[in-house]
Amino acid sequence: MRGPTRRELLLTAAGAAAAGAIGEAIAGVAAPAARASTSSAKAPLSVPDQLQELITVEMLLLYCYQHVLASSILSPRARRTVAPFVAHEQAHIHALERELTARGGHIPSPPASPTAANHALAQRKVGGRLGQLRGDLDAIRLLLTTEQVTIGVYSAALTTIGQPTLIELLCQMMANDAQHDAMLGLLLPPGKIASAVPYGLVQGLQ
Amino acid sequence: MGAASPPLGVRPEAELEGSDTPQPGGASRTRRALLAGAGAGLAGAGALLLGGCGGTAAAGQSTTTAASPAVRAQDIAILTRALELERRTVAAYVAGIPLLPHDAAKAAQQFLSEELEHTGELISLIKASGGKPAARPNSYALGHPTDGAEVLALLHSLERLQLTTYLQAIPRLSPGPVRAGVASILTVDAQHVSMLRLQQGQTPVPSAFVTGAE
Repeated sequence: MRGPTRRELLLTAAGAAAAGAIGEAIAGVAAPAARASTSSAKAPLSVPDQLQELITVEMLLLYCYQHVLASSILSPRARRTVAPFVAHEQAHIHALERELTARGGHIPSPPASPTAANHALAQRKVGGRLGQLRGDLDAIRLLLTTEQVTIGVYSAALTTIGQPTLIELLCQMMANDAQHDAMLGLLLPPGKIASAVPYGLVQGLQ
Repeated sequence: MGAASPPLGVRPEAELEGSDTPQPGGASRTRRALLAGAGAGLAGAGALLLGGCGGTAAAGQSTTTAASPAVRAQDIAILTRALELERRTVAAYVAGIPLLPHDAAKAAQQFLSEELEHTGELISLIKASGGKPAARPNSYALGHPTDGAEVLALLHSLERLQLTTYLQAIPRLSPGPVRAGVASILTVDAQHVSMLRLQQGQTPVPSAFVTGAE
């Protein structure tokens, strides 16, 4: 069964309820805590910067898919599942590039080599390295974690981007990456649908 | 089909909404409970913003201003509509699970527990915004599915409706953390759609963009 990673930001019903209760309590009595939190928070990225970050992580994800598919590491079943996702990630990148270009931003470059991609994976704390994957499951886990990192970048962007059409676009792509996440989860033991969608709230890895 | 008595092993919605009642699910659930802290922090932040102030951002600039009553009322209305749909979907799962074959029923029970989480999350957000969650209707008109295939089709249509609704609603929500919180519900409903499509012999992820049309 796909094991959750500790950085995955997910809520149980208990967590959600507790969070709501805590939120209500804080809203009522703990304004100083809120101010402290606000003052210590990083300044938000500009929209172009956030689009660049999204494109960068989507390019990394695409590179990983392409690298894994170019190897002979995947089983036929896994290959059939994963292959269509390449076009999805390309479509995400193109959509984000259009948005970035319209705002005068500079389009980042994709990873130039497996070494560069591995460096980016390490920076994002993704386990597994291209070229060192030892089987089907290794590859699926790497792709799964990279999808979750990508979802996390979308989720973070949604907290600060305020333009409705862009928000909707990001939601559409974030939800699609979550679908990839579920399909990849289905390729891991025990391969059951119930274990492929194990959480009620998914915000990815941040 | 009416949403009468829940199937064995499924907790009625009223028991789980906004409660900290543990859910069935074995070891992974235990790990989930351990993981809840980080996510709870985010949700708490969302509740805080919704309850106390509204964060708006445009063109990369984020400002925190007090949300006007009109903005908060709009957020409450959006969240209330989402809660209504989630409850309808919960009712469909509860009523439909007994008609599903074993494996599909097991998956549907998992999805049901996740839909219950969604209702709990939405109730928390509504309360944190100063609103009062609407009362749950006693029954829903869900049609008359008679077998597993018809139940899957019903669940698929309801999940799709939720996707459409969330995609329209999220951009209209004011505080950014609340948008992200509700988007975390959307992502799971999109996963449900993929799995329901798979169970019906359809391409599970037919498009690069989730729209609710799938």
